[in-house]
Amino acid sequence: MTIKLQRRAFLQMAVSTAAGIGASVPFARAVTAGNDAATLGWPNDIPSWDPNQRFTPDAQPIFKAVFDQPLDQDPQLKLIPKLIKNWNLAPDAMSMAVELRDDVTFHNGDPMTTEDFRYTFFERIKSGIKLDTANSWKKVQDIVIESPTKATMKFDSPAPTAPQWMAFLGSYIVPKKYIESGGLDNFLKQPVGTGPYKLVEYELNSRIVLERNDKYWGPKPKVGHITIQIIKDPSARVAAIQSGEVDCTINVPVREVERFGKLAGFAAELNPITRVVLLQVRADLAFADQNVRLAAHHAIDKAALSRAFYGGAAVPLSVVATPGTPAYLTDFTFKYDPALAKELLAKSNFGPSNPVKIGLASTNGQFPSDYDIARAIVQMWKQVGIEADLQVIEYAKYFELNRGSKLPEATLYSWDNATGDPEIFAGYLLNPKLPFSAWKDETVGQKVLKLFNVADYNERIAGYRELNRFAVEQGATIPLLQSVLTIVRKKDLGYNKYGNGWLLPQTLQWS
Amino acid sequence: MIAVVLKLIVHRLLAAVPILLVVSALLFCVLRLLPVDPAAMSLPPNATIVEIEAKRRDMGLDRPLPQQYLIWLRGALHGDFGRSIALRREAGSLVAATLPATIQLAVAAMVIAAALGVGGGLLLFHLRDTLFETIADLTSIALLSIPEFLWGLILLFVFGVVLDLLPFTGAVAPGLPQPQITGFLLLDSLLAGRFDVFVSACRHLILPAAALGLAFSPAIMRVLRSSLFDVYHEDYIAQARLRGLSESRILLRHALKNAALPTLTLAGVQFGILFSGTLLVEVIYSYPGMGNLMVDAVRNVDLPLIQAIGLTYCVVVLLINTAVDSLYVVLNPKLRVQ
Repeated sequence: MTIKLQRRAFLQMAVSTAAGIGASVPFARAVTAGNDAATLGWPNDIPSWDPNQRFTPDAQPIFKAVFDQPLDQDPQLKLIPKLIKNWNLAPDAMSMAVELRDDVTFHNGDPMTTEDFRYTFFERIKSGIKLDTANSWKKVQDIVIESPTKATMKFDSPAPTAPQWMAFLGSYIVPKKYIESGGLDNFLKQPVGTGPYKLVEYELNSRIVLERNDKYWGPKPKVGHITIQIIKDPSARVAAIQSGEVDCTINVPVREVERFGKLAGFAAELNPITRVVLLQVRADLAFADQNVRLAAHHAIDKAALSRAFYGGAAVPLSVVATPGTPAYLTDFTFKYDPALAKELLAKSNFGPSNPVKIGLASTNGQFPSDYDIARAIVQMWKQVGIEADLQVIEYAKYFELNRGSKLPEATLYSWDNATGDPEIFAGYLLNPKLPFSAWKDETVGQKVLKLFNVADYNERIAGYRELNRFAVEQGATIPLLQSVLTIVRKKDLGYNKYGNGWLLPQTLQWS
Repeated sequence: MIAVVLKLIVHRLLAAVPILLVVSALLFCVLRLLPVDPAAMSLPPNATIVEIEAKRRDMGLDRPLPQQYLIWLRGALHGDFGRSIALRREAGSLVAATLPATIQLAVAAMVIAAALGVGGGLLLFHLRDTLFETIADLTSIALLSIPEFLWGLILLFVFGVVLDLLPFTGAVAPGLPQPQITGFLLLDSLLAGRFDVFVSACRHLILPAAALGLAFSPAIMRVLRSSLFDVYHEDYIAQARLRGLSESRILLRHALKNAALPTLTLAGVQFGILFSGTLLVEVIYSYPGMGNLMVDAVRNVDLPLIQAIGLTYCVVVLLINTAVDSLYVVLNPKLRVQ
């Protein structure tokens, strides 16, 4: 068959195509032009629309737009009520009574009750569904329902950080009736939460479109339509904000923040957050010698690392906690002192001419400048007599290597703790029974394990403050820097700044 | 001719079966040799050793490698490639959801590569024995040395940022619906009668497709030019000149047809490479295809997903080769006689 295309027909077709293209040109911009829409450039997609399934810190702001947590945190990270109006942790931390709001509905109109609460934090976990929350809530022995708004959580061992976990990773209330009647697959395709936004479109690795939930029980978001563009490449995120394809983006290179800061119409920020960059160390191999561990710590110029890789915005840390969090120590500094590092090494018969040989593992691209920081540390160590063999590991393999005792003496690591609670900083990073800790020695380990069972808040915090200092003095951990979150946005798009780096769509506002 | 082509397709597809078996076995064994434990990675970090062991048994990882392969193969033949470790969803459904976007991108890129390659090849040939020949030659070599991801960044910067002419994130403008009929957005938008979606999808496709097309066109250019040089030494070209035919008619009607065959072979090979070259370009342009998924799978050491995507790449490349061979038979009468 031959198609004969007349010149007139061809020209008509060409003109109509050009008109179509012309008409669509302003569309992409128009979507975000009004005060009721905003587009965010986000570095990662969510792992799944089941918010209980995977712990992914970067996905929390997206989950918090569609789902609600039992408790919340204010911008200074203080725990505040959310779906739970009142909570009362028993003095022995073996139970926690909660009272839910009575005016909350899911996006499909179903009321949120203690049935959903029990389903989320007990029934789903016990039914064998593979959820990360199964580990954070494994102490839950039962949840006794007293009324549609009142219930009591029973724990099999003290759970002093249960309130903190109510506002942390994965703790989002999901709809029991909707999941059980429609099935999990349906829920994953059309998730229903109680959050300030409803999901209206999702395309894997590309786009999430949210629309304001006009029946939201709490303060209504100021911006009605949010488009989250998944842009994994940092250069593409920079291009997207510069061209106006997005109105705000995060995790751009530090040098770009400095450049955008000088451009009219943009606001660029380097915000210190509750994320620490540290060296996870082992208590054996060449690091069995405390002199070597302490020398390795004294040899690192953290301020220089901050200047070189974070524009000086990353605060050098002496303990595994960030400024402003309960167990941060303002009166303790572990000093940078290469001469002292050499002295310590000399006590163990090492020095620049006879270096101690260790391994240093680092991810490459897991967090900003990770591999470059590791290379700089190798050079700093070389100056004092520590010869480090730098090896790259995948972040996904960290736990497996740690479990099999295959990590080298030191591993560069980044640890996020949106709550700021010390149990989730030093507690998790130094608990020899948990897979996060490379340090397996009992001297520090016993102190940590005891603190996991301290119910009294003040006593617990005092214990962690003491532990933070002790662990560093023992050389059980080498804290480096407080991590920063880079944000570039249009100047007239405001947001609420949270100490843990959350950029919540529901706080966006055009001026 | 149809019978010959059909016979060839059947032969090729039959030959593909052992190839796929070998590739899948190699893929399976290589991934299993990596020092990672899929069972441990399928569970939350603080899973106990007992839980990991139970998961290992559940996944069949406690059995000998050949047995593990057979279990996996049996599942794959039934469309079950296992569950993604990172996304905890069926790997097969993830591949099925993203493959159409990658095919669409690769085809568009190949059209651009072919257009630029043939046009550039003719231009290079036309400039032979002139002052511009060396410049054109050096330019084509320079173009050959620019990889697709670099083209991706250059085009994004020039047309997306500086000139602000084309969008560069996603497959369609925000707010527009994405009709789901066949999975191919361009086709689906037309079937659904959404011209606005079609135009938007085309505009979103231009830059990533051009980045890939530009990277693969120089090779086509140079092979076409070389083929044209060879063809111009044939007697029938001299005879055509003696018949008084114009140079352009000789080139386009006689020489190009014969010089196209080696170029077509190269284009077929290039298409396979181009298909796998979508990985970084999809990441740069946030294009929701299989390449984007593969980058995540590799980063997360997501073995079931890597296997599923790897095998899909292999199938697609084999199908492309079969199509090119068939086309070759259609275009070359000598092969039909043989």
